[in-house]
Amino acid sequence: MANVIFELKDVHFSYMGKYPALSGIDMTIDKGEKRAIIGANGSGKSTLLHLLDGLLFPGRGTITAFGKDVNERAFSDQAFSRDFRRRIGFLFQNPDVQLFCPSVKEEILFGPLALGEDKVETRRRFEQLIDTLGIEELLDRSPHQLSIGEKRKVAIASTLIIDPEVLLLDEPTAGLDPLTARHIIDLLVRENASGKTIITSTHDLHIVEEIADTVSVFSRDKKLVKSGPSLEILKDIELLQTHNLVHIHAHRHDGRSHVHSHEHPNHEHTH
Amino acid sequence: MASAYHSNFIETSINAAVSFLKESVFSDEYASKKGFLQSIDPRMKLATSAIFLLVVLFSGSITVIIYFYAVSLALAYLSKINLGFFLKRTWIFMPLFSIFIAIPALFSIFTPGETLTSFEVMGLHLIITRQGFFAASLFVMRVITSVSFVILLSITTRHFELLKVLRIFGVPQMFVMVLGMCYRYIYLFAQVIENTFVAIKSRAGTDLRYKSGRHVVAWNIASLWYRSYRLNEEVYNAMLSRGYDGESVIFNDLRMRLADWLWGLAVAVMCAVPIILKCKY
Repeated sequence: MANVIFELKDVHFSYMGKYPALSGIDMTIDKGEKRAIIGANGSGKSTLLHLLDGLLFPGRGTITAFGKDVNERAFSDQAFSRDFRRRIGFLFQNPDVQLFCPSVKEEILFGPLALGEDKVETRRRFEQLIDTLGIEELLDRSPHQLSIGEKRKVAIASTLIIDPEVLLLDEPTAGLDPLTARHIIDLLVRENASGKTIITSTHDLHIVEEIADTVSVFSRDKKLVKSGPSLEILKDIELLQTHNLVHIHAHRHDGRSHVHSHEHPNHEHTH
Repeated sequence: MASAYHSNFIETSINAAVSFLKESVFSDEYASKKGFLQSIDPRMKLATSAIFLLVVLFSGSITVIIYFYAVSLALAYLSKINLGFFLKRTWIFMPLFSIFIAIPALFSIFTPGETLTSFEVMGLHLIITRQGFFAASLFVMRVITSVSFVILLSITTRHFELLKVLRIFGVPQMFVMVLGMCYRYIYLFAQVIENTFVAIKSRAGTDLRYKSGRHVVAWNIASLWYRSYRLNEEVYNAMLSRGYDGESVIFNDLRMRLADWLWGLAVAVMCAVPIILKCKY
């Protein structure tokens, strides 16, 4: 039990009380785990991450994080709120949402300043992160001047700077070129190796094996249909086809036409 | 033909507004040049600009104001600002002030005094007085000099530095934060508007009738409003997620150097020159 980070019991959530987004979710996530949440568009993956980050609260059911209930009342306690925010970092799907400060440097330092983190330690992590992500020349620029890849790197830096125990990642590689995506995956794997729990929402099956030991599949009716080791889930083509994660694909190869199941969320691949 | 003209009018207006926003508000072109004012600490720059403004505001002498206007032009030159661009940016405000305030002040109806010249317009005998001419000139020079110093400050300072300085000088953090976010997200919405109209053009072509053009514009205003509402919620969530609890702390990495203090001293001397030369302030 001491090893459990999140425990969800019969969690239901709907937007404005009438548009269901999650239905009856039971899930346990352990410390140091690499978990991928996969599912088609609109299956509730992002909503789940918002619930885990205490930005939304279940209409029914309970969520506990680090052994404590996560609900609106808990967040009215400033000590709980600060501790929770210090331990969990959230990388949003849209970096334009996450980057709201006037300059990149202020953006990265927003979290530690808001949480009253130690200045020496913050400075050390700041130097380390800008070096790892190669964003030193961006520090005095405004986030609106950056490319999507640069924005994503800055958003990652602003999440990692508080050195959270848990990283919630909403489509971390969406819209990125292959090299930038590779750097980000390598960084996330390193962070996990250093002990962080990583929970990634994605429908990019190419990255799942690397960023997850366990995969949870969500259906279009907003339910958790299966959780298991990533290799086992990725081999279950029927399950993936049922939930729109792969499809039967016909194309020509070396002058011959052939048919196979295919996973390519961005519709780009090399043969 | 008329409808084509009108649809072009809508498109041209939107494109011009977006490009004006991007070029004039969001361009850091001059702030990133290695000029004189760009090298001054933003706190000292804001303080000295405030001193210049106060001196210009309280001076009743046109000679003194012209002297300060010359100082502003010299500063623009030393800060590597294209003088044509600078004059355009500053004089663009003048018609507004001159039409409503300066021109009426020329005439004896508003400023009685010694006749300078007189003429008739539609049977109406109008007299321009010496006092009126002096008051209008003083007003125009005061406005243009003040605007010049404000524009110098804004185009030679990166906007995030200006916001930081406002916080250091005690402007409420909520005000500064809202200002910063407006700046940040107006740019995003300018991009959304631009992309939306490119998308419309790619589907509807350029032959968009006036009536349907109006419909598209109205629909886009509504859609933009909805997007901004959604964005507002999402940004607030992103802030909460990173520990925001209603009070953000300023990150101050500005360092005052000897050159900044020397500039402060130089401004004090410049303001004292009219007194030394016994000009009436």
